[in-house]
Amino acid sequence: MLDLTITPEQQKIQQLARAFTAQHIIPVDREWDERGGFHEFILAENKKVGLNCMAVPVEYGGPGYDSVTQSLVAEEWGYGCAAFATTLSGNGLSSYPLAIAGTEEQKKLYYSRLVNGGMGGFALTEPGAGSDAGSCTTVAKLDGDEWVINGTKCFATTCGYASIMVVFASTDLDKGVKGLSAFIVEKEREGVVVGAEEHKMGIRSSNTVELRLKNVRVPRTHLLGKEGDGMKIAMKTLDMARPIVASMSVGVARRALDEAIQFAKTYLDVNGKPIGRHQAVAFKLADMATQVEAARQLVRNALRLKDVGMPYTKEAAMAKTFCTDTAMRVTSEAVELMGQYGYSKDSIVEKLMRDAKVTQIYEGTNQVQRIVISGLLLNS
Amino acid sequence: MGYAFTEEQELIQQNAREFTQECIEPMAAEIDRTALHPQELVQSLAEQGFMGMFLPGEYDGAEAGFLSYALIIEEISKSSGAVASILNQHAAMAAYSINTWGSKEQKEQYLPAMCSGEILGAFALAEPDAAPGVGEHKVTACKDGDTYVLNGRKCYVANGGAAGIYVVFALTDPGAGLKGMSAFLVAGDAPGLSVARTIKKMGLRGCQSAEIIFDNVKIPQSSLLGTEGAGLAIVAKAQAAAGVAEGAMVVGIAQAAMDDAAKYGMQRIQFKQPIARFPAIQTMLAEMATNIHMLRLAVYHAARLIENEKPFAMEAAMVKLFAARIGQNALIDVVQIEGGYGYSEDMAASRFFRDIKGVVIKNGSVDFPETVIAKSLLD
Repeated sequence: MLDLTITPEQQKIQQLARAFTAQHIIPVDREWDERGGFHEFILAENKKVGLNCMAVPVEYGGPGYDSVTQSLVAEEWGYGCAAFATTLSGNGLSSYPLAIAGTEEQKKLYYSRLVNGGMGGFALTEPGAGSDAGSCTTVAKLDGDEWVINGTKCFATTCGYASIMVVFASTDLDKGVKGLSAFIVEKEREGVVVGAEEHKMGIRSSNTVELRLKNVRVPRTHLLGKEGDGMKIAMKTLDMARPIVASMSVGVARRALDEAIQFAKTYLDVNGKPIGRHQAVAFKLADMATQVEAARQLVRNALRLKDVGMPYTKEAAMAKTFCTDTAMRVTSEAVELMGQYGYSKDSIVEKLMRDAKVTQIYEGTNQVQRIVISGLLLNS
Repeated sequence: MGYAFTEEQELIQQNAREFTQECIEPMAAEIDRTALHPQELVQSLAEQGFMGMFLPGEYDGAEAGFLSYALIIEEISKSSGAVASILNQHAAMAAYSINTWGSKEQKEQYLPAMCSGEILGAFALAEPDAAPGVGEHKVTACKDGDTYVLNGRKCYVANGGAAGIYVVFALTDPGAGLKGMSAFLVAGDAPGLSVARTIKKMGLRGCQSAEIIFDNVKIPQSSLLGTEGAGLAIVAKAQAAAGVAEGAMVVGIAQAAMDDAAKYGMQRIQFKQPIARFPAIQTMLAEMATNIHMLRLAVYHAARLIENEKPFAMEAAMVKLFAARIGQNALIDVVQIEGGYGYSEDMAASRFFRDIKGVVIKNGSVDFPETVIAKSLLD
């Protein structure tokens, strides 16, 4: 379907991503879900077509795509495989702190790794600090010209393979949230230890690990912004990331819808009629399609606000919540509609449903999004 | 909470609870991981009298009624949806059909062995080209003198490969469509019957799902269950009874998952307090608890109708409809409360999330539950 609300340039990139997904992701989505290993070879292909670091600005060697373009690509990735989409959008997310608070030097350091095919990581969550990021116990202390970082992060996306990461640590535990700071940490720094990998119900080929930092020393210049800016940087990063997760979820939902439509056209009922001819099934498909479309437009609107420089925090949080809830609902309905076949691994929709669940949880649970939205409603 | 159980029902429930804790809970994760039919456990179910809970005493059943059966299904589901499914396919689909439609000889031949666990039952209905409904039937049964000859392929046969007796649906009059569908009792070791493959599933792993091939399977005329053309009526009744038990499975899985989430919510500290203290989490738990309670009442009511031999098609369809509406949503919320931890493959929440879906999908139902309910209202 031709989308006339996007520019020809954006359409071109969308088509590129769609073709990439069809060629490289969809043929292996089931295999990689079962195997659960990291999909490095897809990343290599992705780099060849130039979609590996979309968020890196032109002056640093990246494509510097606008937000709408990035979201179009994220939707296509989500359509193919949410695990792969998580890796790639996580790569983008890891570089947002640089766009928000990076100095020229820091940007050069970080972006050059991504442009050359290295992966980026973002380590915020800790065993005791999930939604409550202010309870961070990882600490950074200045020792001469170096920061010394100690602590343990968990649920760190792609950090088993990342070449460079943004790590959050407290520079003043007494200050709680206001003592949180953000640091650039290269993988090869001594004391960076990748711990156990999570075995997840879904997005199984995405890499989720524990990250231990033992007396990791980085130069003083690796602090992003000022001491205590960590929470602000994290929040702005997540503002930027939410529409991308939302778009990816739209892709997951769209795939489930397509699979369900195909099924409804092909499978026959007791009287030999395609089940899609039943009003109960047909209306269900209509509702699913309406939700997918509404979700897509919600994220598109948030990104337009962002691209013209208007506040978009509330709209981004709304999009994240609505799109991920839609992905969960639509994938679940697709499995139900497709019955035993949908529930079996002969079909892809059961994977879509397992994958969809995590989108309601990560990058700020949908409960945290509601805190953000209601906060803006009540405090403005 | 009182549900007006008899003393016998309370004892049966208590026994099932203890048995589940002792014998199923320690194995549940392993059964899911290996996805292998747990033969020894099935034997223990038989020793407890679970395999023939509602079957008549004259065929070695416990004759304890369908509500008692629903209670044991609910208890077992708290630990393993897969084990509950194995039992339900055996009892409420296969044994129930034989007991309802079978001749005295058929009952004598199969029911005692099904109660003792010697043979496991299965229900072979769906076909590869016809999901999720009964669909276009290509398995045929041709009469040849004193025998019927079965040919074709069945799909998604639960307990397939492990079963000793299959209730097989085949067309005796292909020209008449589904009105020409009949049910046959076919032994698992009948020559010509073979397992083409086992089907990998999202959940309920361990309740083996198989594709079964019938290649010139010759069975005596006495293998016909009911009369020729009675197939559809047999399916509808078995699915309604099994649907009530599936409601009990949803109750059990959702209850166990909710208890797990409540426990996690009290242990997980964020913003200096247990997350279960936040109204947002409490609202989710309250919603779940209310829905589970409502479903449980509907299940017990329908089970009582079955055991009192009252019409129950509409009430069974209501159970199915409501279970589908609330079951998955409860588990979506449970994993949400447990967050990244609940999403881990190693946690019970993620297994319950996958299992409950297998209970609420349309298991090759002849009719949408909405249609059944509306029919009862309008006719």
